[in-house]
Amino acid sequence: MFRSLRVKQQPLKIVPDSPSISAEQLSRDASIPITLRQINSLPENAKRRIYRPLLPLGILVQFGIDPITWKGPNGDQHIRLKAGPEKNGVCIAARKASDDPDDILFLELADNAMNGIDLNLIVINDPESPRFSTDQDEQGLPTLFGTARRNLGEEERAMQAGLAPAQTRASLRASRQVFELLETFLATLGHRAYFLEPLTYVSAWVFEQRGFAYVRGHKLMDDIHAEFQPGGRLNSALDGSTPFRQPNQWRTVRGRAWAIQDGILDAIDTHWDGLRMVKQIGRHAGVETFPEAKY
Amino acid sequence: MSIRHQITRAAEYQSLATLRDFIEATCKGHPGVDDQVLYDLKLAVDEACTNIITHGYAGMNPGSIILEIDLSPQKITMTVTDFGHAFEPCETPMPNVEAGLEDRDTGGFGLYFIYQTMDEVDYECTEDGNHLTLVKRF
Repeated sequence: MFRSLRVKQQPLKIVPDSPSISAEQLSRDASIPITLRQINSLPENAKRRIYRPLLPLGILVQFGIDPITWKGPNGDQHIRLKAGPEKNGVCIAARKASDDPDDILFLELADNAMNGIDLNLIVINDPESPRFSTDQDEQGLPTLFGTARRNLGEEERAMQAGLAPAQTRASLRASRQVFELLETFLATLGHRAYFLEPLTYVSAWVFEQRGFAYVRGHKLMDDIHAEFQPGGRLNSALDGSTPFRQPNQWRTVRGRAWAIQDGILDAIDTHWDGLRMVKQIGRHAGVETFPEAKY
Repeated sequence: MSIRHQITRAAEYQSLATLRDFIEATCKGHPGVDDQVLYDLKLAVDEACTNIITHGYAGMNPGSIILEIDLSPQKITMTVTDFGHAFEPCETPMPNVEAGLEDRDTGGFGLYFIYQTMDEVDYECTEDGNHLTLVKRF
Protein backbone atom coordinates (compact mmCIF):
# COMPACT_ATOMS: atom_id res chain seq x y z
CA MET A 1 0.00 0.00 0.00
CA PHE A 2 2.92 2.36 0.71
CA ARG A 3 4.62 1.43 -2.53
CA SER A 4 4.31 4.92 -3.98
CA LEU A 5 5.23 6.95 -0.91
CA ARG A 6 8.70 8.32 -0.78
CA VAL A 7 9.74 10.36 2.18
CA LYS A 8 13.07 12.07 1.84
CA GLN A 9 15.18 10.04 4.23
CA GLN A 10 18.42 11.94 4.14
CA PRO A 11 18.93 14.14 7.18
CA LEU A 12 18.26 17.81 6.77
CA LYS A 13 21.32 19.75 5.83
CA ILE A 14 22.23 21.55 8.99
CA VAL A 15 24.68 24.21 9.82
CA PRO A 16 27.94 22.76 11.13
CA ASP A 17 28.22 23.25 14.87
CA SER A 18 31.08 25.61 14.51
CA PRO A 19 31.31 29.10 15.94
CA SER A 20 33.00 30.52 12.88
CA ILE A 21 33.25 29.78 9.22
CA SER A 22 36.44 28.88 7.43
CA ALA A 23 37.43 29.02 3.79
CA GLU A 24 37.50 25.25 3.87
CA GLN A 25 33.87 25.10 5.05
CA LEU A 26 32.84 27.62 2.42
CA SER A 27 34.23 25.36 -0.27
CA ARG A 28 32.03 22.44 0.84
CA ASP A 29 28.40 21.84 -0.18
CA ALA A 30 27.12 25.33 -1.03
CA SER A 31 23.56 24.40 -0.06
CA ILE A 32 24.43 24.14 3.62
CA PRO A 33 23.34 27.41 5.19
CA ILE A 34 25.72 29.66 7.02
CA THR A 35 24.53 31.17 10.28
CA LEU A 36 24.83 34.80 11.29
CA ARG A 37 26.75 33.61 14.36
CA GLN A 38 29.39 32.14 12.10
CA ILE A 39 29.68 35.36 10.13
CA ASN A 40 29.87 37.37 13.34
CA SER A 41 32.97 35.49 14.40
CA LEU A 42 34.87 36.75 11.38
CA PRO A 43 37.19 39.76 11.57
CA GLU A 44 35.46 43.15 11.56
CA ASN A 45 36.25 44.05 7.96
CA ALA A 46 35.16 40.65 6.68
CA LYS A 47 31.82 41.16 8.40
CA ARG A 48 31.47 44.59 6.83
CA ARG A 49 32.05 43.15 3.38
CA ILE A 50 29.48 40.44 3.96
CA TYR A 51 26.77 42.64 5.50
CA ARG A 52 27.30 45.60 3.14
CA PRO A 53 24.90 44.29 0.45
CA LEU A 54 22.00 44.58 2.92
CA LEU A 55 22.04 48.35 2.48
CA PRO A 56 20.24 49.76 -0.58
CA LEU A 57 22.75 51.80 -2.50
CA GLY A 58 20.15 54.22 -3.84
CA ILE A 59 19.10 55.23 -0.34
CA LEU A 60 22.68 55.67 0.85
CA VAL A 61 23.54 57.84 -2.12
CA GLN A 62 20.30 59.82 -1.73
CA PHE A 63 21.41 60.84 1.76
CA GLY A 64 25.06 61.44 0.89
CA ILE A 65 26.40 58.28 2.51
CA ASP A 66 29.33 56.58 0.82
CA PRO A 67 28.24 52.98 0.18
CA ILE A 68 31.73 51.60 0.79
CA THR A 69 33.12 53.63 3.70
CA TRP A 70 29.64 54.33 5.16
CA LYS A 71 30.77 57.90 5.81
CA GLY A 72 28.94 61.14 5.04
CA PRO A 73 30.34 64.30 3.42
CA ASN A 74 31.82 65.42 6.77
CA GLY A 75 33.57 62.12 7.34
CA ASP A 76 31.12 61.01 10.03
CA GLN A 77 30.02 57.40 10.24
CA HIS A 78 26.38 57.06 9.22
CA ILE A 79 26.02 53.29 9.48
CA ARG A 80 26.00 51.27 12.69
CA LEU A 81 26.75 47.58 12.46
CA LYS A 82 26.17 45.44 15.55
CA ALA A 83 27.36 41.93 14.90
CA GLY A 84 29.44 40.97 17.89
CA PRO A 85 31.39 37.72 18.08
CA GLU A 86 29.34 34.86 19.57
CA LYS A 87 26.11 36.77 18.84
CA ASN A 88 23.51 35.02 16.72
CA GLY A 89 22.12 38.19 15.23
CA VAL A 90 22.98 41.36 13.40
CA CYS A 91 21.66 44.92 13.50
CA ILE A 92 22.48 47.31 10.75
CA ALA A 93 21.21 50.86 10.78
CA ALA A 94 21.65 53.90 8.56
CA ARG A 95 21.07 57.43 9.83
CA LYS A 96 21.07 60.69 7.90
CA ALA A 97 22.80 62.59 10.70
CA SER A 98 24.17 61.40 14.01
CA ASP A 99 21.82 63.69 15.97
CA ASP A 100 18.73 62.49 14.06
CA PRO A 101 16.23 60.75 16.35
CA ASP A 102 15.36 58.13 13.73
CA ASP A 103 17.20 55.77 11.45
CA ILE A 104 16.58 55.86 7.73
CA LEU A 105 16.84 52.10 7.76
CA PHE A 106 17.04 49.66 10.64
CA LEU A 107 17.33 45.92 10.10
CA GLU A 108 17.67 43.26 12.78
CA LEU A 109 18.18 39.64 11.78
CA ALA A 110 18.79 36.60 13.96
CA ASP A 111 19.44 32.89 13.61
CA ASN A 112 16.45 30.95 14.88
CA ALA A 113 16.25 27.59 16.58
CA MET A 114 15.02 25.90 13.39
CA ASN A 115 18.17 26.42 11.37
CA GLY A 116 16.61 29.47 9.74
CA ILE A 117 16.59 33.24 9.94
CA ASP A 118 14.17 35.60 11.70
CA LEU A 119 13.76 39.20 10.62
CA ASN A 120 13.12 40.70 14.04
CA LEU A 121 12.67 44.29 13.00
CA ILE A 122 12.67 46.38 9.87
CA VAL A 123 12.08 50.13 9.92
CA ILE A 124 12.34 52.42 6.92
CA ASN A 125 11.86 56.14 7.59
CA ASP A 126 11.92 59.23 5.45
CA PRO A 127 14.05 61.51 7.66
CA GLU A 128 12.80 64.57 5.83
CA SER A 129 9.14 63.94 6.57
CA PRO A 130 7.30 65.39 9.61
CA ARG A 131 7.89 63.49 12.85
CA PHE A 132 5.20 62.29 15.25
CA SER A 133 6.17 61.21 18.76
CA THR A 134 4.13 58.04 18.75
CA ASP A 135 7.18 56.25 20.16
CA GLN A 136 6.82 57.96 23.55
CA ASP A 137 3.80 58.48 25.74
CA GLU A 138 2.91 61.81 27.35
CA GLN A 139 5.28 61.03 30.26
CA GLY A 140 8.13 60.32 27.86
CA LEU A 141 8.07 56.57 28.38
CA PRO A 142 8.68 54.39 25.31
CA THR A 143 5.52 53.04 23.73
CA LEU A 144 7.39 50.16 22.06
CA PHE A 145 5.60 50.79 18.77
CA GLY A 146 2.34 51.29 20.61
CA THR A 147 2.39 47.80 22.08
CA ALA A 148 3.18 48.79 25.68
CA ARG A 149 1.72 52.30 25.89
CA ARG A 150 0.04 54.78 23.62
CA ASN A 151 0.31 58.47 22.94
CA LEU A 152 -3.22 59.08 21.73
CA GLY A 153 -2.74 62.71 20.71
CA GLU A 154 0.31 61.94 18.59
CA GLU A 155 -1.30 58.84 17.15
CA GLU A 156 -4.29 60.89 16.04
CA ARG A 157 -2.05 63.45 14.37
CA ALA A 158 -0.03 60.68 12.73
CA MET A 159 -3.19 58.99 11.47
CA GLN A 160 -4.48 62.25 10.01
CA ALA A 161 -1.12 62.75 8.29
CA GLY A 162 -1.48 59.36 6.58
CA LEU A 163 0.87 57.30 8.73
CA ALA A 164 0.23 53.76 9.90
CA PRO A 165 0.37 52.57 13.52
CA ALA A 166 3.92 52.21 14.90
CA GLN A 167 5.29 54.78 12.46
CA THR A 168 6.92 58.00 13.65
CA ARG A 169 7.56 59.18 10.11
CA ALA A 170 6.42 58.39 6.62
CA SER A 171 8.24 55.52 4.98
CA LEU A 172 10.67 55.94 2.12
CA ARG A 173 8.58 53.44 0.14
CA ALA A 174 11.67 51.31 -0.35
CA SER A 175 10.52 48.06 1.20
CA ARG A 176 10.50 46.21 -2.13
CA GLN A 177 14.14 47.14 -2.70
CA VAL A 178 15.17 46.23 0.86
CA PHE A 179 13.43 42.85 0.70
CA GLU A 180 15.06 42.03 -2.61
CA LEU A 181 18.48 42.75 -1.13
CA LEU A 182 17.69 40.77 1.99
CA GLU A 183 16.52 37.80 -0.03
CA THR A 184 19.61 37.82 -2.23
CA PHE A 185 21.77 38.08 0.89
CA LEU A 186 20.07 35.09 2.52
CA ALA A 187 20.27 33.05 -0.68
CA THR A 188 23.99 33.77 -0.73
CA LEU A 189 24.21 32.28 2.77
CA GLY A 190 22.27 29.22 1.61
CA HIS A 191 18.94 29.89 3.33
CA ARG A 192 15.64 28.91 1.71
CA ALA A 193 13.28 31.01 3.82
CA TYR A 194 13.08 33.62 6.51
CA PHE A 195 10.44 34.44 9.06
CA LEU A 196 8.96 37.44 10.83
CA GLU A 197 6.13 38.47 13.12
CA PRO A 198 4.15 41.40 11.72
CA LEU A 199 3.76 44.17 14.26
CA THR A 200 0.59 45.65 12.78
CA TYR A 201 -2.15 44.91 10.26
CA VAL A 202 -0.43 47.27 7.83
CA SER A 203 2.84 45.36 8.21
CA ALA A 204 1.12 42.04 7.51
CA TRP A 205 -0.54 43.49 4.42
CA VAL A 206 2.75 44.92 3.13
CA PHE A 207 4.48 41.59 3.72
CA GLU A 208 1.71 39.84 1.77
CA GLN A 209 2.45 42.20 -1.11
CA ARG A 210 6.12 41.23 -0.86
CA GLY A 211 5.29 37.54 -1.21
CA PHE A 212 5.05 36.25 2.35
CA ALA A 213 2.73 33.44 3.45
CA TYR A 214 1.54 32.73 6.97
CA VAL A 215 2.93 30.22 9.44
CA ARG A 216 0.24 31.38 11.84
CA GLY A 217 -2.57 33.87 11.40
CA HIS A 218 -3.82 33.46 7.81
CA LYS A 219 -7.27 32.58 9.10
CA LEU A 220 -7.16 35.51 11.51
CA MET A 221 -6.46 37.86 8.59
CA ASP A 222 -9.36 36.31 6.64
CA ASP A 223 -11.62 36.69 9.67
CA ILE A 224 -10.60 40.33 10.10
CA HIS A 225 -11.42 41.03 6.46
CA ALA A 226 -14.79 39.29 6.72
CA GLU A 227 -15.75 41.06 9.93
CA PHE A 228 -14.88 44.47 8.50
CA GLN A 229 -17.41 43.99 5.72
CA PRO A 230 -20.79 45.71 6.15
CA GLY A 231 -22.80 43.71 8.65
CA GLY A 232 -19.66 42.28 10.26
CA ARG A 233 -18.85 42.73 13.92
CA LEU A 234 -15.75 44.84 13.33
CA ASN A 235 -17.65 47.03 10.91
CA SER A 236 -20.32 47.56 13.55
CA ALA A 237 -17.65 48.42 16.12
CA LEU A 238 -16.51 51.33 13.93
CA ASP A 239 -19.01 53.40 15.87
CA GLY A 240 -17.21 56.73 16.12
CA SER A 241 -16.51 56.19 19.81
CA THR A 242 -12.86 57.17 19.37
CA PRO A 243 -10.95 58.97 16.61
CA PHE A 244 -9.60 55.57 15.57
CA ARG A 245 -13.02 53.98 15.05
CA GLN A 246 -14.65 56.08 12.39
CA PRO A 247 -17.26 54.38 10.19
CA ASN A 248 -15.34 54.51 6.92
CA GLN A 249 -12.10 53.05 8.22
CA TRP A 250 -12.96 49.53 7.11
CA ARG A 251 -12.34 50.60 3.53
CA THR A 252 -8.55 51.01 3.83
CA VAL A 253 -5.62 49.03 5.17
CA ARG A 254 -4.52 51.95 7.32
CA GLY A 255 -8.00 52.61 8.62
CA ARG A 256 -8.37 49.00 9.72
CA ALA A 257 -4.89 49.04 11.24
CA TRP A 258 -5.62 52.09 13.41
CA ALA A 259 -8.86 50.52 14.61
CA ILE A 260 -6.97 47.34 15.48
CA GLN A 261 -4.32 49.42 17.27
CA ASP A 262 -7.26 50.89 19.22
CA GLY A 263 -8.32 47.42 20.37
CA ILE A 264 -11.27 46.84 18.07
CA LEU A 265 -10.48 43.11 17.82
CA ASP A 266 -12.09 42.79 21.27
CA ALA A 267 -15.35 42.83 19.30
CA ILE A 268 -14.46 39.41 17.90
CA ASP A 269 -12.87 38.17 21.12
CA THR A 270 -9.36 38.11 19.80
CA HIS A 271 -6.30 40.32 19.67
CA TRP A 272 -3.37 41.06 17.40
CA ASP A 273 -0.90 38.46 18.56
CA GLY A 274 0.85 35.32 17.48
CA LEU A 275 0.98 35.98 13.75
CA ARG A 276 4.06 34.63 12.04
CA MET A 277 4.93 34.93 8.37
CA VAL A 278 7.38 33.17 6.10
CA LYS A 279 9.03 34.21 2.88
CA GLN A 280 10.28 31.43 0.68
CA ILE A 281 13.39 32.60 -1.12
CA GLY A 282 12.63 33.34 -4.75
CA ARG A 283 8.92 32.65 -4.48
CA HIS A 284 5.84 34.83 -4.13
CA ALA A 285 3.05 33.18 -2.16
CA GLY A 286 0.34 35.36 -3.66
CA VAL A 287 -1.57 35.85 -0.42
CA GLU A 288 -4.24 38.55 -0.57
CA THR A 289 -6.39 38.66 2.56
CA PHE A 290 -7.75 42.10 1.64
CA PRO A 291 -8.58 41.79 -2.05
CA GLU A 292 -8.27 44.95 -4.11
CA ALA A 293 -7.21 46.82 -1.00
CA LYS A 294 -6.75 50.55 -0.82
CA TYR A 295 -3.82 51.51 1.36
CA MET B 1 7.26 22.54 -21.51
CA SER B 2 5.08 22.79 -18.43
CA ILE B 3 2.69 25.45 -17.19
CA ARG B 4 2.62 26.32 -13.52
CA HIS B 5 -0.33 27.68 -11.53
CA GLN B 6 -0.52 28.55 -7.86
CA ILE B 7 -3.07 29.44 -5.21
CA THR B 8 -2.60 30.21 -1.51
CA ARG B 9 -5.38 30.00 1.03
CA ALA B 10 -5.79 29.81 4.79
CA ALA B 11 -5.69 26.30 6.20
CA GLU B 12 -9.38 26.05 7.08
CA TYR B 13 -12.11 23.73 5.93
CA GLN B 14 -13.93 26.39 3.96
CA SER B 15 -10.85 26.74 1.74
CA LEU B 16 -11.25 23.17 0.49
CA ALA B 17 -13.98 24.07 -1.99
CA THR B 18 -11.83 26.90 -3.36
CA LEU B 19 -8.90 24.53 -3.83
CA ARG B 20 -11.10 21.97 -5.60
CA ASP B 21 -12.46 24.70 -7.88
CA PHE B 22 -8.91 25.82 -8.61
CA ILE B 23 -7.92 22.29 -9.62
CA GLU B 24 -10.94 22.03 -11.87
CA ALA B 25 -10.33 25.41 -13.50
CA THR B 26 -6.65 24.67 -13.99
CA CYS B 27 -6.73 21.05 -15.13
CA LYS B 28 -10.04 20.58 -16.93
CA GLY B 29 -9.47 20.41 -20.65
CA HIS B 30 -5.78 19.58 -20.30
CA PRO B 31 -4.93 16.68 -22.65
CA GLY B 32 -5.16 13.42 -20.70
CA VAL B 33 -7.43 14.79 -17.98
CA ASP B 34 -10.79 13.06 -18.09
CA ASP B 35 -13.47 13.19 -15.40
CA GLN B 36 -11.88 10.31 -13.47
CA VAL B 37 -8.45 11.95 -13.39
CA LEU B 38 -10.00 15.24 -12.34
CA TYR B 39 -11.86 13.47 -9.55
CA ASP B 40 -8.64 11.78 -8.38
CA LEU B 41 -6.72 15.06 -8.36
CA LYS B 42 -9.38 16.79 -6.31
CA LEU B 43 -9.75 13.86 -3.93
CA ALA B 44 -6.01 13.63 -3.25
CA VAL B 45 -5.62 17.35 -2.57
CA ASP B 46 -8.77 17.41 -0.50
CA GLU B 47 -7.46 14.61 1.72
CA ALA B 48 -3.97 16.11 1.97
CA CYS B 49 -5.31 19.52 2.93
CA THR B 50 -7.76 18.04 5.41
CA ASN B 51 -4.80 16.41 7.14
CA ILE B 52 -2.93 19.71 7.20
CA ILE B 53 -5.95 21.57 8.59
CA THR B 54 -6.72 18.90 11.18
CA HIS B 55 -3.21 17.95 12.29
CA GLY B 56 -0.59 20.24 10.74
CA TYR B 57 -1.97 23.45 12.15
CA ALA B 58 -3.52 21.93 15.27
CA GLY B 59 -3.31 24.19 18.29
CA MET B 60 -2.54 27.41 16.47
CA ASN B 61 -4.29 30.05 14.41
CA PRO B 62 -3.94 28.39 11.02
CA GLY B 63 -1.37 29.55 8.53
CA SER B 64 -1.30 29.11 4.77
CA ILE B 65 -1.63 26.25 2.35
CA ILE B 66 0.03 26.79 -1.02
CA LEU B 67 -1.16 24.58 -3.87
CA GLU B 68 1.01 24.58 -6.94
CA ILE B 69 -0.03 22.74 -10.10
CA ASP B 70 2.39 21.96 -12.87
CA LEU B 71 0.82 20.79 -16.12
CA SER B 72 2.91 18.92 -18.63
CA PRO B 73 1.93 16.67 -21.56
CA GLN B 74 2.67 13.42 -19.67
CA LYS B 75 1.68 14.23 -16.11
CA ILE B 76 0.25 16.66 -13.59
CA THR B 77 2.34 17.48 -10.55
CA MET B 78 0.64 19.06 -7.57
CA THR B 79 2.67 20.37 -4.64
CA VAL B 80 0.95 21.19 -1.38
CA THR B 81 3.06 23.32 0.96
CA ASP B 82 2.27 24.19 4.54
CA PHE B 83 4.19 25.59 7.50
CA GLY B 84 2.59 23.70 10.34
CA HIS B 85 3.71 20.63 12.25
CA ALA B 86 5.47 18.14 10.02
CA PHE B 87 3.67 14.95 9.05
CA GLU B 88 5.23 11.77 10.43
CA PRO B 89 4.30 8.97 8.01
CA CYS B 90 5.84 6.29 10.21
CA GLU B 91 3.50 7.29 13.04
CA THR B 92 0.45 7.08 10.84
CA PRO B 93 -1.19 3.65 10.87
CA MET B 94 -2.78 2.51 7.64
CA PRO B 95 -6.45 1.63 7.87
CA ASN B 96 -7.54 -1.97 7.69
CA VAL B 97 -9.60 -1.86 4.51
CA GLU B 98 -10.37 -5.57 4.81
CA ALA B 99 -12.16 -5.14 8.12
CA GLY B 100 -15.91 -4.98 8.37
CA LEU B 101 -17.48 -1.54 8.67
CA GLU B 102 -18.18 -1.96 12.37
CA ASP B 103 -14.54 -2.87 13.08
CA ARG B 104 -12.89 -0.09 11.13
CA ASP B 105 -11.37 3.01 12.70
CA THR B 106 -12.96 6.19 11.44
CA GLY B 107 -9.66 7.89 10.54
CA GLY B 108 -6.67 7.07 8.40
CA PHE B 109 -8.39 6.79 5.05
CA GLY B 110 -7.10 10.11 3.73
CA LEU B 111 -3.61 8.78 3.12
CA TYR B 112 -5.02 5.58 1.74
CA PHE B 113 -7.01 7.49 -0.86
CA ILE B 114 -3.97 9.59 -1.77
CA TYR B 115 -1.82 6.52 -2.35
CA GLN B 116 -4.56 4.83 -4.34
CA THR B 117 -5.19 7.75 -6.66
CA MET B 118 -1.70 9.16 -7.27
CA ASP B 119 1.22 7.58 -9.09
CA GLU B 120 3.89 9.20 -6.96
CA VAL B 121 3.73 10.70 -3.50
CA ASP B 122 6.76 12.52 -2.09
CA TYR B 123 6.97 14.28 1.24
CA GLU B 124 9.73 16.59 2.30
CA CYS B 125 10.08 18.73 5.39
CA THR B 126 12.49 21.60 4.84
CA GLU B 127 13.41 25.03 6.16
CA ASP B 128 10.88 26.59 3.79
CA GLY B 129 7.92 24.39 4.69
CA ASN B 130 6.45 20.92 4.42
CA HIS B 131 6.07 19.91 0.79
CA LEU B 132 3.79 17.10 -0.33
CA THR B 133 4.25 16.35 -4.02
CA LEU B 134 1.55 14.38 -5.81
CA VAL B 135 2.09 13.14 -9.35
CA LYS B 136 -0.58 11.82 -11.68
CA ARG B 137 0.65 10.35 -14.94
CA PHE B 138 -1.45 9.86 -18.08
